Amino acid sequence: MKLGFRIAIRFLTASLGQTLLIMIGISVGVSVQIFIGSLIQGLQQSLLASTIGSSPHITIVSDTSKKEFSEYIDLADEIRSTDERIKTVTYVLDEPAFLLTEDTSQSLLIRGLPLSETEDIYHFQEALTEGRLPASSAEILLGSPLKEQYGLSVGDMITLLSTDNTALSCTITGFFDLKVASLNESWGIMSLSAAQQYFAFPDQVTGIELQLYDPYVFEADLVADKLQELPDFTSWQVQNWKVQNESLLSGLQGQSISSIMIQVFVMISVVLGIASVLAISVLQKSKQIGILKAMGMKNRLTSFIFLAQGAILGLGGALLGIMLGLALSFSFTKFAVTSDGSPVVALSIQPWFIILSGAIAVTASLAASLLPAIRSSRLNPIDIIRNS
Amino acid sequence: MAELGERYSKINISPVIEKRKEDIMASIIELKNVSKVYGDDILTKVLSDISLSIEEGSFSSVIGQSGSGKSTLLNLMGTLDKPTTGDIMINNTSIKNLSKDELAVLRNQTIGFVFQFHYLLPEFSVLENVLIPYEIMCTDRKKDVLEDPKQRAVSLLKLVGLEKVIDKNAARISGGQQQRAAIARALMNHPKIILADEPTGNLDSYSTEMIYDLFRELNNTLHTTFLIITHDQKVAEKTDRIIEIKDGRINLDITK
Repeated sequence: MKLGFRIAIRFLTASLGQTLLIMIGISVGVSVQIFIGSLIQGLQQSLLASTIGSSPHITIVSDTSKKEFSEYIDLADEIRSTDERIKTVTYVLDEPAFLLTEDTSQSLLIRGLPLSETEDIYHFQEALTEGRLPASSAEILLGSPLKEQYGLSVGDMITLLSTDNTALSCTITGFFDLKVASLNESWGIMSLSAAQQYFAFPDQVTGIELQLYDPYVFEADLVADKLQELPDFTSWQVQNWKVQNESLLSGLQGQSISSIMIQVFVMISVVLGIASVLAISVLQKSKQIGILKAMGMKNRLTSFIFLAQGAILGLGGALLGIMLGLALSFSFTKFAVTSDGSPVVALSIQPWFIILSGAIAVTASLAASLLPAIRSSRLNPIDIIRNS
Repeated sequence: MAELGERYSKINISPVIEKRKEDIMASIIELKNVSKVYGDDILTKVLSDISLSIEEGSFSSVIGQSGSGKSTLLNLMGTLDKPTTGDIMINNTSIKNLSKDELAVLRNQTIGFVFQFHYLLPEFSVLENVLIPYEIMCTDRKKDVLEDPKQRAVSLLKLVGLEKVIDKNAARISGGQQQRAAIARALMNHPKIILADEPTGNLDSYSTEMIYDLFRELNNTLHTTFLIITHDQKVAEKTDRIIEIKDGRINLDITK
């Protein structure tokens, strides 16, 4: 094996130009794969983050005509103990109300939340553009578009009107920006106890909201199904984000498939490149192979010389490609930036993906050297000696 | 010529002489009714019914016109090819039933080749080229390795007069030097047999002379069996035994 490797290295260094050319070919393939893969993954993650990053993965609502229910504490405990993939369990009282202004009224969805517990889901603290989170009973957090639309500011008193015409005056404690216009324009955030008191649903909620741990986000449907099958959940409806965002999911899937297609074709071109170079190399080195066989080298070892060449080309190309791919990704995040200096698309550079890309390149190189290896093992030394 | 040949061969196969030779030397290569046919559709019989014995330590030549089958004969003796019919014994082992790998080991450890086109590996230095047969041997057996193979390679290169170009790239030395390096390489594993196919076909008369003197010296000092294929009558005359092949048969077999 050692001899085979040494001969392989000598064969490669003897035609250094050719070797470098094919290595660059492989590395371009690997770097494109890493860049495109990281770009698509980054795109998908930012899409996902904006879609489900600030919303629950699973929502449990009443399946009866009465939306509000009071068993939420027991249910939440049961949910927590059901599945290890669940990260956060919290509850919400959602009720419609009107924000009364001087000449008009704006419909709002008042969300009463136990704010310290829902931080995992909604990240209001991060989403605050100014002010603070509401604490006491008569405080509210509004979306930032309303601030400009109605000339509001932190500390202002506003009046809310519930659907049964109960009015409530409360103080604006701050404004949020969840990066989703429809939510910014329609949500008013209160503490759960304040909402329960105002809408007169003491100790009742309209929904239980769940967040899953990151790696299990795409298993939301499975977790939801599991919960739905629990005996206590017959009068509740378990919804998951995948059902609610079907078009997004099919979009993501399409993106993934096109990304895989690009990567497959890049790899095919790499394989063809190596295979053709090594096939020519078998012809170029046929004299050497013939004499090595005449001197007693076994067919296995002559095949190994070409497999080793494939492996060396693949490894070298992969390493070079990884460096090139990272450099490409780095310069993309540095130079393709928006006006505020953040990258147009935040790339997701995953170590496992880089290792996978490298491993695919090495495997492809080995596969490409298989045919030349077989050809070299079939080479008959007499043909070489006689033809010369 | 044919008549002369018949006379010589009659003398050669006289039972008295054969008996004496058997006593002195054991046969290292033995061909028994060997025929070789090439082609699938159009059959070409290159060698027909050849029986021949080469003694250990002998210095012989095979002559014949081009196309007479002499190179085929050498390839068969070198186990690079298998006979269509008949059998070949190398060092008392029949090659008939040996696998490709077993033949490779036999070649590596028993036979050294010297070709007209020396076939040094241009990617390696002169010294590395000489070491390659040894390294191939090491891939098979881990024991019995030389204590200092490099030392042996260097001494062989000194023997063929190449001590000054040891570390040069094999492609950067003259034709005569390359052929001498190929001879050193052929000797690396202490082979019992050196098969040389037109070893000086490409060289000038000075280098030719030098190579044959070297062969003779090695034959005398190391007792290596030499079988040299040549079309040059003058070269053949320097050997102890001349075997002439004509139309695939032994036409003449003269022992001095």
